[in-house]
Amino acid sequence: MAGEAKFTCLRCGCDFMLPFTPGVTEERTCPKCMSNSVRRVKQKKD
Amino acid sequence: MAYSEVENVAGYVGNFTVTVRKKARYVDVKECTACGDCIDVCPVTAPDEFEEGLSTRKAIYQPFPQAVPSAFVLNIDECLGNNPIACGKCLEVCDKDCIDYDDKDKLVDIDVGTIIVTTGMAVYDPTELDEFGYTRYENVITSMEFERLINSGGPTQGHLIRLTDLKEPKTVAFIQCVGSRSENKGNPYCSNICCMNTVKDCLLIKDHYPDVKLKVFYIDIRAFGKGFEDLFQRSKEKGAVYIRGIPGEIEEDPETKSLKLYVENTTEGGTECHEADMVILSVGVHPREDSSAIQKLLTLQRSQDGFFLEAHPKLKPVDAATQGVFFAGCAEGPKDIKDSVTQAGAAAARANRLMMQGKVSVEAITSTIIPELCKACGICVNVCPYHAISCDTEAKTPATVVEAACSGCGACSAECPFGAITMKHFTDKQIESQIDAMLEVDPQDKVLAFACNWCSYSGGDLAGTNRFQYPPNVRLIRTMCSGRVDKKFVLRAFARGAPIVLLSGCHFADCHYINAVHWTQRRVEKLWDQLEKKGIRPDRLQLEWISAAEGQKFATVMRAVEELRQKVTPEEVEHTKRVLKDVLEPPKKDPAKGKPAESESAASGVAV
Amino acid sequence: MANLDGGGEELRVGVFVCQCGHNIAGTVDCDDVAKFSEGLEGVVVVYNNKYTCSEPGQLEIKKGIDENNLNRVVVASCSPRMHEPTFRATLVEAGLNPYLLEMANLREHCSWVHMNEKEAATEKAKDLVKMAVARARSLEAQDEMVVPITQKALVIGGGIAGVQAALDLADAGYKIYLVEKEPSIGGIMAAIDKTYPTMDCSI
Ligand code: SF4
Ligand SMILES: [Zn+2]
Repeated sequence: MAGEAKFTCLRCGCDFMLPFTPGVTEERTCPKCMSNSVRRVKQKKD
Repeated sequence: MAYSEVENVAGYVGNFTVTVRKKARYVDVKECTACGDCIDVCPVTAPDEFEEGLSTRKAIYQPFPQAVPSAFVLNIDECLGNNPIACGKCLEVCDKDCIDYDDKDKLVDIDVGTIIVTTGMAVYDPTELDEFGYTRYENVITSMEFERLINSGGPTQGHLIRLTDLKEPKTVAFIQCVGSRSENKGNPYCSNICCMNTVKDCLLIKDHYPDVKLKVFYIDIRAFGKGFEDLFQRSKEKGAVYIRGIPGEIEEDPETKSLKLYVENTTEGGTECHEADMVILSVGVHPREDSSAIQKLLTLQRSQDGFFLEAHPKLKPVDAATQGVFFAGCAEGPKDIKDSVTQAGAAAARANRLMMQGKVSVEAITSTIIPELCKACGICVNVCPYHAISCDTEAKTPATVVEAACSGCGACSAECPFGAITMKHFTDKQIESQIDAMLEVDPQDKVLAFACNWCSYSGGDLAGTNRFQYPPNVRLIRTMCSGRVDKKFVLRAFARGAPIVLLSGCHFADCHYINAVHWTQRRVEKLWDQLEKKGIRPDRLQLEWISAAEGQKFATVMRAVEELRQKVTPEEVEHTKRVLKDVLEPPKKDPAKGKPAESESAASGVAV
Repeated sequence: MANLDGGGEELRVGVFVCQCGHNIAGTVDCDDVAKFSEGLEGVVVVYNNKYTCSEPGQLEIKKGIDENNLNRVVVASCSPRMHEPTFRATLVEAGLNPYLLEMANLREHCSWVHMNEKEAATEKAKDLVKMAVARARSLEAQDEMVVPITQKALVIGGGIAGVQAALDLADAGYKIYLVEKEPSIGGIMAAIDKTYPTMDCSI
């Protein structure tokens, strides 16, 4: 279950991978600008 | 209760129920007379932790001769006796029959009114500072190891010897600030005690061995306490030489095992080389690793250096933000014995002050269920971190709150889809009227920020006390927990023309309400989706975790949100206002009624 | 005027703007803020104090409540995390429920962090007061729950601080539980030989 997922930072706009487990709420930080406004990019089959 | 750990804490000020794990000791504390017969027969030897590994002990042992309780303890992982055929020797010799290989951990519940946290600190391990060669060179030791060497009860009966040849050293060098005051490795702060400890060590050495030469390498000597300067001067009079500069490298002579220290003398200038037979690293201190467990159990906060954070540095220096909890000693920050004792007295007095009143009133910020609106869906039962709500979903009877168990985070109120839960002193109406007042005039120029009382709001206070400047466009609305911030508050703010809304709360580890902050995150994630669907840029809703110690981060975030605000166009704001028009009905004229947010979160709370 | 609170009583808000010496007034134009506050809905009286938390400042609040029959109080000063307990106590002394107080943080969240932008800071201060008044208008009296305190204490950690705190409290007559992780109490101090400043032994 546990794996990685793509996230995007809503402050600086950069994309990155972070560990992700469905259903688990975790604190996340943008590696570039340190913002916590980190949103998962929902997979649209890529 | 020695050899025990706090496993769980429930309740609140005046009425904590604490579960303590009494670890299996395998020796009956009451019966054991510490006669030592068992030690003689135990075949296992292990490094002695108390002696910093400088000597050995058996698998059954007394931690140190003056230990309290004066009883042995058996380390079952080292013992062979739990495999009955293998050993069992100690059991045979024990007259008192006090050894029991089948001893188990026991959990006991105790009720207490106040809690004092005195978990202390840990000593820095200098192995990572390669330049000093600790562990590579045997004659480089730490100040803790030195304490055991010079102690008459220690492994050498108090004789100061080199570990390589067991001879008395002729020259001893001390290096100060090891693991302290460093931006790179170790800790950035001053460990407070190491300067005076070295001064004391110098005097000790000079008392026993007047001929030993002493050199102390330092950045500054901080002898600020009462009587400290006097000791410092005495150590100089006795011949300790203080050299300003920390050695950049130590080399060992492979034959003599003596050491060469290369140092830039910052008083006289120029690089020097000093020889020493023994080097003592004056190591700093840092928070204990297990602090985070206690932090979680008692919902405490820690400052940036990792030590526990007091409720107010001047007004409440021994109180935790959690009512009924106090700090003393190095758990709160590095300090010496005198300060620890002083603080312990203060903490005891504070606890006494509370307990002697016999009763305490708790802030009336709790949740109330409006039975007429409650649909007995049971959602809130799972939301409440304190299990304060119960609801019979089968019988469809409205949920009920145990007020004494509710801590007032407000997560339930924000999650309830029917607006059936209101928070005393933080009602929907109260918060909404703040939003409306703020955005009545020139909303496009302002950033609306929600901040939780314990962390981000305090982080803002700290930014203030430190005078960290940031743009004046932001206005804060305080809630007890970010978990209180209902979706409809956010949507209302956007509908009123807010260009940017910020939700700020505690880091997950700091959450004052166990894990109520998880609801904040989940809610924000949903809101991002919802905004996007409505054609509103999700990044206009920002989320940040700011602790009470992060004044700097607070200011940085405020700058960042202001930058984002400037990118929001008036057209966008107008569009948002149009899209979210529904959120605002019924119009402002009728403030007695709550405002439905989304069709999904139907009627909202009639503010009581 | 339909200026009633939830209980149908006429709303009478008093605003106390605090200068905090130079701390607030040095950046924020307190007179301007006070004048602005007068025009806010429900506000019947506005005061402008040098130090609201001082004895005379608190007296003025009490007098203000008394003379104007106030039933909501807004103190625009420092962080509620600092002085909310102080002013709540003042309200109680004046016979008001402590939950009828609201504070606007003009110091930590305004004057101290916008020192070079006096005008914008003053505008922000006005907004903060306006928000506080808006909130105050819907505040309600609350009764605090009074619970008994168990006459026992828990001390976590048996080092010098823990032992000292436990002994002090035990001497005061409480039952104390001292929980120590290791097999013996004593902590780090027990391993130290002599201790400064007295240079005597540690155990
Ligand atoms: S406010 Fe928080 S603690 Fe109180 S009942 Fe609701 S979820 Fe539980
Ligand atoms: Zn980023």
